[in-house]
Amino acid sequence: MLAYTLFAGILFGLYFSLVGLGLNLVFGVMRIVNLAHGDFLMLGAYLAFWLYTLSEVNPVAVIPLAFALFVLIGLPLYYILVPRLLAANDPEMLSIILFFGLSQVIEALAGIVFGRSERSIPGGELGRALAGFVNLFPGAKMESGPVEIFGQTFPAAWVVAGLASLLAVLCLYVYLYRTRLGALTRAVMADREEALSTGIDTHRVSAIAFAIGIALAAIGGVFAPFMLGSITPAMGVEATVTSFAVIVIGSLGNPLGTVLGGIVYGVSYMLMQSYLSSWANLLPYLLLIAILLVRPSGLLGRQVRLA
Amino acid sequence: MKGRMIGAFAGLAGLAAGGFATATALRAQEAPTDIKIGTLYASSGRYASISMPVHYGLKLWIDQKNAEGGMYVKAYDKKLPIKLVAYDDQSNTATAATLYNQLITQDKVDLLVADSGSVLTSVAVPIARDRKMFLFDQTGTGAAFFTKDNPYIALMSDPASTIWPKPLADFLSYDGPNLGIKRVAILYATNEFTGTQANAVKKFLKDAGDKVEIVFDQGVPTETSNYTVLINNIRAANPDAVLHLGYAPNDIAFLRNLQDNGIKFKMLFCIYPGLETELLEKNVGEKGLQYVYTYVPASEIKYDVNFGMNLDQFKDAWKKKYTDGKVEFGFNSVAGYTTGLVMEKAMSVATSMDQLEIRRAVFSLSGNLKTLDGTFALDETGGQTGELMPLGQLVPDKDGHIHFVSLYPHENANGKPVYPRP
Repeated sequence: MLAYTLFAGILFGLYFSLVGLGLNLVFGVMRIVNLAHGDFLMLGAYLAFWLYTLSEVNPVAVIPLAFALFVLIGLPLYYILVPRLLAANDPEMLSIILFFGLSQVIEALAGIVFGRSERSIPGGELGRALAGFVNLFPGAKMESGPVEIFGQTFPAAWVVAGLASLLAVLCLYVYLYRTRLGALTRAVMADREEALSTGIDTHRVSAIAFAIGIALAAIGGVFAPFMLGSITPAMGVEATVTSFAVIVIGSLGNPLGTVLGGIVYGVSYMLMQSYLSSWANLLPYLLLIAILLVRPSGLLGRQVRLA
Repeated sequence: MKGRMIGAFAGLAGLAAGGFATATALRAQEAPTDIKIGTLYASSGRYASISMPVHYGLKLWIDQKNAEGGMYVKAYDKKLPIKLVAYDDQSNTATAATLYNQLITQDKVDLLVADSGSVLTSVAVPIARDRKMFLFDQTGTGAAFFTKDNPYIALMSDPASTIWPKPLADFLSYDGPNLGIKRVAILYATNEFTGTQANAVKKFLKDAGDKVEIVFDQGVPTETSNYTVLINNIRAANPDAVLHLGYAPNDIAFLRNLQDNGIKFKMLFCIYPGLETELLEKNVGEKGLQYVYTYVPASEIKYDVNFGMNLDQFKDAWKKKYTDGKVEFGFNSVAGYTTGLVMEKAMSVATSMDQLEIRRAVFSLSGNLKTLDGTFALDETGGQTGELMPLGQLVPDKDGHIHFVSLYPHENANGKPVYPRP
């Protein structure tokens, strides 16, 4: 039982790493808190649901589409909202208010368009995608359905979401450390004023980071019907809170910290469910308080907030 | 003498006629332009999927009555149009508390109707009681709502949670051992509705002499959306029957996680496959609901009615009115409409709009009113005792489409349980 709980916690946590990754990137680059992060996740979830309902598009195939679409949404949204925000005296605080308002608007509009009831995509779809991928390799034979890892059986959706999360982290690292734009992004993350004074177009760099941030949220949303039971227009708030806990645990502004934060959250959550189930949903808040008291910069933090 | 007698009679008749005319004039004068019904609904959040069908059911009744010129109100001896004052509590109890107060103190509604479900009703109960406002409790079944010292509440559409699971518990105690059911696992969401049901099941099992053993008993927060580890833990306890008591989103997540893990329990009971079958089918699929034990609600049983539409008529009216399919038809839609019927019947009986008179009128219907939800019957605390739900099972036909088979009590049964599930 303990082994299963731990493995499940790691897989579950990897998914929440993906969920928190975009929020962390946006905070790291712009020092603003995107409280509508979970609502972009919700929109990604409805995109996957809508395409599946319309023509049974497998959610895995929706991932590149969701990424492209939300990058295209994110770029103009950045220029509409963020530059004025960054020019304010206290952009961090104002961002909370502004994005809370945006969150409410997105939720209300989604409710009107999609209805308020729970919606899902059949659980076997990700299993089919995984089996289809594995069977591409010569000699491989895998049936769609639960996946066995070290003698323990897990839903295929968890494995696919975990792999997608690792891939997203890898891509983000390649972007940040192997591309010129990534280097510029890191420069802005380190010191926005200094980056500006060296001639870096900080708004262009930030806009791309913002767009990638919400696109990552949307990719997390594609997996939400499988990881969170079902989707509703109101699911964004809870996703934002959990994401926030994950990135604070790991450390604000550090993508690798988000992975660690996600795994700590996932394992702790599953342990709570197994041994103290009634209190499991208090976990994000308990971890937040504990981390802020013991190590305010997060597990992998280097005093980012004080830099 | 005779002339004086005639004169006296004439005088009396004149006085009586004058009095009647004055009274009628007064009544007409006192009659408001409309009857205000105040209620809340949750358009978003955890309880939207159980709140919106109830709200839509109530609205359907109101629109019907207004199309007929209004509702007859005996207190004013005339038909009055119904004005609905409805606010969105977004599934938030704090918001709901503020809005219930607003309905009573600012909007001064004539009739107060709670939002759907025990969680959002729980904040209405003390407010209604303190404000001495009779609460039409639509589907809030929490045991703590109904006490002898609170006359300001009655449950409209489903049995109180303390008696609701009796058919389930009795089935386990009396039919279970013969089928091979000896070990039972209970997983429940820790809220007033399902928490009370879990306690009631345990009590009924104990009262029956502990014929089955409870091998797993755990509560989880109502917001739980992933059950994979819990399902694994339940399986480790090796139960013969699993009872999952949660709201619709809990049941959806639980049943989906079961499918995703490829696990089949020999007997699985969930509440909402019966109550909101359409919603569950959309999310879990028919295959995921096959052989699940559940309650057989009024939306599946054609009760004889002596007031309002019968089930077929209501279903047709629902489909005609709500064509976009965003809110599913099910037990909760029937519940909202039933609330309207109870209010209509009570208003035709109440001699004044005094809240205790409204209570008297509602209680006078007990045992006499038969709607599409069954026989409306109340105990002295306002708890519903008439609209009991039998235990049933969702069994596939030869095409794989599921249908209800009623199992317990035996007098309601129309089939045999399939155990263990194939």
